[in-house]
Amino acid sequence: MSTALVQELSFRERIAMLRATKMRHTEEKWREIGSLDMDDLPIMLPPPEMRKIVRIVSGSGIVISDALFSNFIPTSNHPSGGFFGARACGENFRALLDIHPPYVDPVSSLAGGYMASFLAYRDPAWNPDCDYAHLHAEQNLYKLHHGIGAVQHFCQDMTIGFRLGWNGLLDQIHRYRGVQRDDEAQELYDGLEQCVLGIQNWIERHAAAARTMAREEMRPELRKNLFELAEMNAALVTRPPVTFREACQWMLWYQLAAKMYNMSGSLGRIDQFLYPYFVADKERGILTDEEALFHLACYFIMDTSYTQLGGPDAEGNDTTNPLSFLVLEAAHLLKIPVNVGVSVGAHTDRRLLRRGVEILFEDKTGIPKFLGVDRTSEGFARNGYPIALGRERTYSGCHWCAIPGREYTVNDCVKINLPVLFDTALRDMMSDPALEKNTTVLWARFTHHLRRAVDVIAQSLDFHMDHMFQVYPELMLDLLCHGPIERGRDASHGGVEFYNLCVDAAGLATTADSFAAVEQRVDRERKITWVQLRQELDADWAGPAGERTRLMMKQIPRYGSGSSRADDYGKMIAGLFTTSVKAKPTPHGFNMIPGIFSWAANIVMGKDVGATPNGRHAQSPISHGPNPDPGFRKDAAPTALAITVAGIQPGYGNTAPMQIELDPGLSKNNEDIDKIVDLIITHFDLGGTQINMNILDKKAILEAHKDPSKYPDLVVRVTGFSAFFASLSPEMRQIVVDRIIAEG
Amino acid sequence: MPDEKPVPSMSSAGTVFHIQRFSIHDGPGIRTTVFLQGCALSCFWCHNPEGSTTHPVLQFYADRCTACGACVQACPHHAHEFRDDVHLFHRERCVTEGACVESCFSQALLLTGRSMTVAEVMAEVLQDTAFYERSGGGVTLSGGEPSLSSAFSGELLAQCKARGIHTAVETCGEAPWASLADLLPVTDLVMMDIKHMVPDRHRAATGKANDRILDNARRLAGTGKPIVFRTPVVPTVNDTEEQIADIAAFIRTLIDQRNGSAAPPADRAHIRYELLTFHRLASDKYRSLGREYRAATLEPLPKSRMQELADVAAHLGVDTAIR
Ligand code: SF4
Ligand code: SF4
Repeated sequence: MSTALVQELSFRERIAMLRATKMRHTEEKWREIGSLDMDDLPIMLPPPEMRKIVRIVSGSGIVISDALFSNFIPTSNHPSGGFFGARACGENFRALLDIHPPYVDPVSSLAGGYMASFLAYRDPAWNPDCDYAHLHAEQNLYKLHHGIGAVQHFCQDMTIGFRLGWNGLLDQIHRYRGVQRDDEAQELYDGLEQCVLGIQNWIERHAAAARTMAREEMRPELRKNLFELAEMNAALVTRPPVTFREACQWMLWYQLAAKMYNMSGSLGRIDQFLYPYFVADKERGILTDEEALFHLACYFIMDTSYTQLGGPDAEGNDTTNPLSFLVLEAAHLLKIPVNVGVSVGAHTDRRLLRRGVEILFEDKTGIPKFLGVDRTSEGFARNGYPIALGRERTYSGCHWCAIPGREYTVNDCVKINLPVLFDTALRDMMSDPALEKNTTVLWARFTHHLRRAVDVIAQSLDFHMDHMFQVYPELMLDLLCHGPIERGRDASHGGVEFYNLCVDAAGLATTADSFAAVEQRVDRERKITWVQLRQELDADWAGPAGERTRLMMKQIPRYGSGSSRADDYGKMIAGLFTTSVKAKPTPHGFNMIPGIFSWAANIVMGKDVGATPNGRHAQSPISHGPNPDPGFRKDAAPTALAITVAGIQPGYGNTAPMQIELDPGLSKNNEDIDKIVDLIITHFDLGGTQINMNILDKKAILEAHKDPSKYPDLVVRVTGFSAFFASLSPEMRQIVVDRIIAEG
Repeated sequence: MPDEKPVPSMSSAGTVFHIQRFSIHDGPGIRTTVFLQGCALSCFWCHNPEGSTTHPVLQFYADRCTACGACVQACPHHAHEFRDDVHLFHRERCVTEGACVESCFSQALLLTGRSMTVAEVMAEVLQDTAFYERSGGGVTLSGGEPSLSSAFSGELLAQCKARGIHTAVETCGEAPWASLADLLPVTDLVMMDIKHMVPDRHRAATGKANDRILDNARRLAGTGKPIVFRTPVVPTVNDTEEQIADIAAFIRTLIDQRNGSAAPPADRAHIRYELLTFHRLASDKYRSLGREYRAATLEPLPKSRMQELADVAAHLGVDTAIR
């Protein structure tokens, strides 16, 4: 072996190597399991000798492939073959961790990586004993995404883990075992304990693996790194983290386990809870900015969960600090889909926002996104909470916020498909001879069905809250919440302080445009009769005459054009939806909070709806989030878009995010960057809650659409999340392409 | 009675071919640019050929036509015809009253512009007030040539000023001084094109010599109004160092003239220069108008070349930017 002096690898080189490894893993995933249509999760495939490919239903409802460990079969505790309840879930999760091989990259300052999604081993996922057949009829009629069985989608408080460490958490479980003696509590403690023991064992094996690798590693700086990893992780099996690097490593263990358990993807305000470690280490002279940046990059390579930067403290003062900037720079360095959101409010630091916009234009990865923190905290207060609590609510998911460790939300899991309700109303009107046929009557039927759909959602949520703990409790999130251990109750069953259940509407533009189209073309201009329209819809605008009718219906002043009838309908629908959700809590008394967001589910939700009078074809995607459909105005003016979306906000703390695509050519100099910054701030001034901004390079996107494999690095913001373009299904890619074509 | 300002009228009508909101390259801040139909020059590379005539004309986008035949029925002048399944448009028969446009739902037939009152334009313009206020933006009148519709332009600008909205006018400079001067009291910033310093070359490229434009430029400099002179840098027309230096030297004399006329030196910043990057994205529009696009074969200049030219101007002491 050569003994020549090798140049030490710099941090930047190590990051480039980590990124290359990640890209290799990602491309292997695309090859083995195909398109994903969801957040870019850094999950890796199990080693080939332990790998089994299966077909499952993806998050956006499409059947996709998934890779499982061939050597893990969960133990059932139910005749259905499934496993249910805290004890069975904990034991099986531990068994999965026990066969999960360690993953140590000698280049990274942090150990760990994950290859399994425990959710994929649940079959059946729902306990058939918890029967909700009484709700089926209406859930199906309205095609509701009703939330029964929803997992995670709220946010832990990482500082609990930082304070206690894994042994501290075990102690806590043991202590309360003696206090809460009922069966439900005892079973929960069993489950939680299994999780912690499994994680500790898993970390221990990483420490051992790092030590073995260190002995064989020839490059001195990596050898040193591996020894450090071995030592640090041997300690973190039991004690809490002390240094910045340890805190990053602890956080990574928790997040990896939480991701594996049920894909939990919330991080929250890492620039706040890591800050004390950052400051202390810098004061002791054991950490430089460059090193901190490196640790953060090593972290994001393995976990890209949702993160808020800056934003108000309880009194409303801005919390932006040097670490906020470093987190942004880490995402910039990596150019992978790290889900970072920058806070924008009356008192927030414009420099952070400005830097965010610069990075957005430079990287074109849709990162960061922008958070209207004043609007969401004020809105939350309208539910009857103090504003300080609203400020504590943290961006931690695709379009949503939660109070870390204290609030259960089912955010982004409950969706009402407005176009289905429109179609139901239209069929009602047409089939009832007693009803007059006009838009006013249609609106009345729509109102009826929307209220009914909200009622069905409320009942479904109650059912979920009654039973989820018996099916698949939130073991990983319970560990870092205030209350579940102390009360002996799962977070979904009374474990935490606040319950604010999310109810989102989807397909706003499709519905608003449909109302305006029938009002103009059928009622006012009489260009087509109701009967003819119904026939055209049922025939999906077949034939040349149908196509002409379709174009006629589409060719109206659309939602988003500004002061059109469709804009009026957009506001009326959003208002009706909001008042329906806020009219009363669920029958069991849970507060519900309205939002307007489809996520990437606008594709699968579209499959539930036939042709609609806005000229949309049957089964094609419904409109995205609260956005107008592409082509809503000739000038595609971002200001018109910003005013439209600001004008339909439900206003109770949950969001209706604006999705906006801009041409890279818009930003030619510093002045232009400032204009984009002003666009963002003004949207929030006008009432907006979140902005997902995409800088789309038309040429690259169109070429990548033809052959995605040629552009493995291309990242786009699809919706609340960014993802590698190549990882999207052809349908989802088409949606992105349509947006830029329409923008001209 | 305290002296009340007369309320500007809103009744004048102008032919508007486009209103672009979130216009960020036509003056300071976030702006709305109103494009008025009609221009005195006929630059062969024009990006907005639909704005060149004073009256709207019909645009026919053949690739969008679904061959539904409705326009054939709608046109009383038989300007549309299908022969062997091909849609023929006889432009010479068209009197542009727009009946066919109403019948076409495919956006294949469009009128370039439409008559709008000042009140109608203001309704659109005022929607973005919050953005102007936040960014220091406002309204830009462009064209075509806004001074050709000076009554309308004057009223529109006065309406904006009455509401505290910053105003800018983009002009090709080819207009009687009086009609430009009329707009100045209600204009905060003038953006004027200078395309070439040699009269014959100017005529060859734009259809008119440049004497009136240069004369207007001098008079404008004399007023003390903030000015941005702009040159669309077009290959074969004005993309050499000498040609840009010529224009910049002229601008430099105007700066000196203004500074010399007892204005403080800081006022220099009130005359700036911009080089506009040529692109050839207008072919679809030319085709829809049945016009030849002579610039279609020109190669856009790379950024680096634009920078070289901008440096030439900057060396002459002119504050220069690339757009
Ligand atoms: S009406 Fe429009 S789509 Fe129909 S034939 Fe005429 S141009 Fe073509
Ligand atoms: S604008 Fe009028 S005259 Fe011209 S083609 Fe259309 S219908 Fe015929």
